[in-house]
Parts: sequence; structure tokens; C-alpha cells
Amino acid sequence: MSASEDQSAVERVLAGDISAFEEIVQRWQKPLINLAYRFCHDRGRAEEMAQEAFLRAYRGLNQWRKDAAFSTWLFALATNLYRSELRRIPARTVSLDEIAEPADTRASDGGLEDQDRNSAVRRAVLNLPSKYREALILFYFHDMDLTAAARSLALPEGTVKARLFRGRELLRSKLPQILAVPRLKEA
Amino acid sequence: MKPTIGRYSTGRLPGAAENEEVNRMLSNEDEILPSSGFAAAVMDAVRREAAAPPPIPFPWKRALPGMIVAGLVFVLAVMAVVAVIVYLPMTSTIPHVSTPPSSLGSLGLHGGIESATAWTVLALLLAFVSVKLSMSLATGRP
Repeated sequence: MSASEDQSAVERVLAGDISAFEEIVQRWQKPLINLAYRFCHDRGRAEEMAQEAFLRAYRGLNQWRKDAAFSTWLFALATNLYRSELRRIPARTVSLDEIAEPADTRASDGGLEDQDRNSAVRRAVLNLPSKYREALILFYFHDMDLTAAARSLALPEGTVKARLFRGRELLRSKLPQILAVPRLKEA
Repeated sequence: MKPTIGRYSTGRLPGAAENEEVNRMLSNEDEILPSSGFAAAVMDAVRREAAAPPPIPFPWKRALPGMIVAGLVFVLAVMAVVAVIVYLPMTSTIPHVSTPPSSLGSLGLHGGIESATAWTVLALLLAFVSVKLSMSLATGRP
């Protein structure tokens, strides 16, 4: 997955070899679908959004300035698209109140299983105001790389950092039970 | 792209100690694999896109005269409305003071229903001319 391979494929596409775009799709389909999935938690919709992202990338391929990596440009384009799509049709979520007080009986006697707690936190992230939600999604998608998250969001790092901080605070205030419960599998 | 603790480790974030649990949970996001036909579907869409004729550009050359006329009509209409708003209270509150001739007065704004009718007719006429002009330019027929 090298930058030169991306550049070479892009140049061939721009020269008229459409099939070279398949290399780009093959290389980036998994990250783009997974990024979309984090925004909507709906597999079908994630693939639709990723397909649209690839189409837009194809249409705007000549706008890629080679001063940044192709992946940076592609993720920024995809993030922008996913954000607008989610603003147009929001992801299906449940209210934070429901998450904070789960009906699961296990909560009263020692806490939820890891998987349930992780799932509750992810749902809570989807319920956050969009600016905090997007910062958190991008930050964790990029393996906690603040610079990459900031580039994808086209925001200064300081802004993303502040949003991460506030987003985490909101999560903690909305999920006191879940985040206070020690992991069952912890040694 | 398996999530791992990257270059921005938990220690570099604000409120790091309290955030470890959140980090752990959100880092362990399940990954999904693209469905088998995804790449083919994307390439089909790309090929359709490439095969489609380029979008027809907006006919600025033909539309511009109509747009200019429409703009002028709009400006005239705004001026007329402003003049009426400014002028009518003056004529109704100071009926005995003769107003000095002005450019708007000379356009016939100090009449009553007659001037309003005249302005309406003028506006309609200009609108009609601009529509006809635009249509004839767009269709290429006189």
C-alpha cells in the first residue's frame, strides 16, 4: 500500500486508463467502508456511502494536489461526504437515556459484559453532537493519530483536540455506570 | 487497518487517565469486510460515469441578455417601490406643499391610481419583453 502505487494508478486513470482505478478501489475499499461504518453502523449504508466516495474521488481525481498523500486526500473527501450524508439522513440511534440505564439485569449485579459495554459506548458516540462525534470517530479510526484525524476533518489539530476532550467528557457524563464498572476480564 | 495505540498514545491526550477506558472501548471497533461484489459495483458505476456524455454547460451566451434585462427590471421595480414608499407619505401628510420636480417625479410617480397603473403596465411590459427575448435566444427562433 505505497504512495507511489497510488500516484501511478491515479496518473494512469487521468491518462484514460479507467481500469487502473480498480487498483485504487481494491486498495482502499476496506478502510473507506469501515470509516463509513463507524459513522452509521449500518453495513449496507456504509457500502453505499463508500461507493459514492469512490465515485466522487474518480470525478475529482485531477483535484488531488500531490503535496499530500493520496490517502489523506481520499479520507478527507470521504469524511466530508459521510458527514453530509449523515446530516441529510442521520444514523439510526437510541437515546442516551436508554444507554445510560440499560435494561440488562446484569448491570445491577456487577456490570455488563465487555461486548455490551463497548456497544453501548459506540451507540453513545453516535448520539453525541456531530462535531464531537466526528472528532471521536476519526481519531479512533486513524489509530488515535490526531494529525490524521485533523487532516480528514480539515480542522486544526487544536480544535480536534478540544472536541475530543469535550466529546469524552460528554460520554463520561452520559455513561457513568458503564464507564465506572471495571472490566470483568481484567486481571 | 487494525486499530492500535498509535503515535498519539493515551498519555498525550487531555484527561488521559480517565480516558483509558473510553480509548480501549472505541479502539476495539469491529471491522467489516467489503462484500464480494463491492469493487465490481464501484467499477461499474465508474465506467457508467466515464461513458456518460459530459454535462451540457449552461448556455451563458444565450441566457446573459435575458438575465441582464431581468436584472434591470428588478432594479427598476425596487426603485419604484422605494420611491412609492418614500413619496406617498410625503404627499399624504403635506398636501399643500408643492414638491420640487425630481427625477422620480418626472417619471410620473406623483399620480394616484393612474401612475400605479402606468408602473404596473410598464413592469408587465418589461417582463414580457425579457421573457420573449430569453425564449427567442434560447430556442434560436425570432
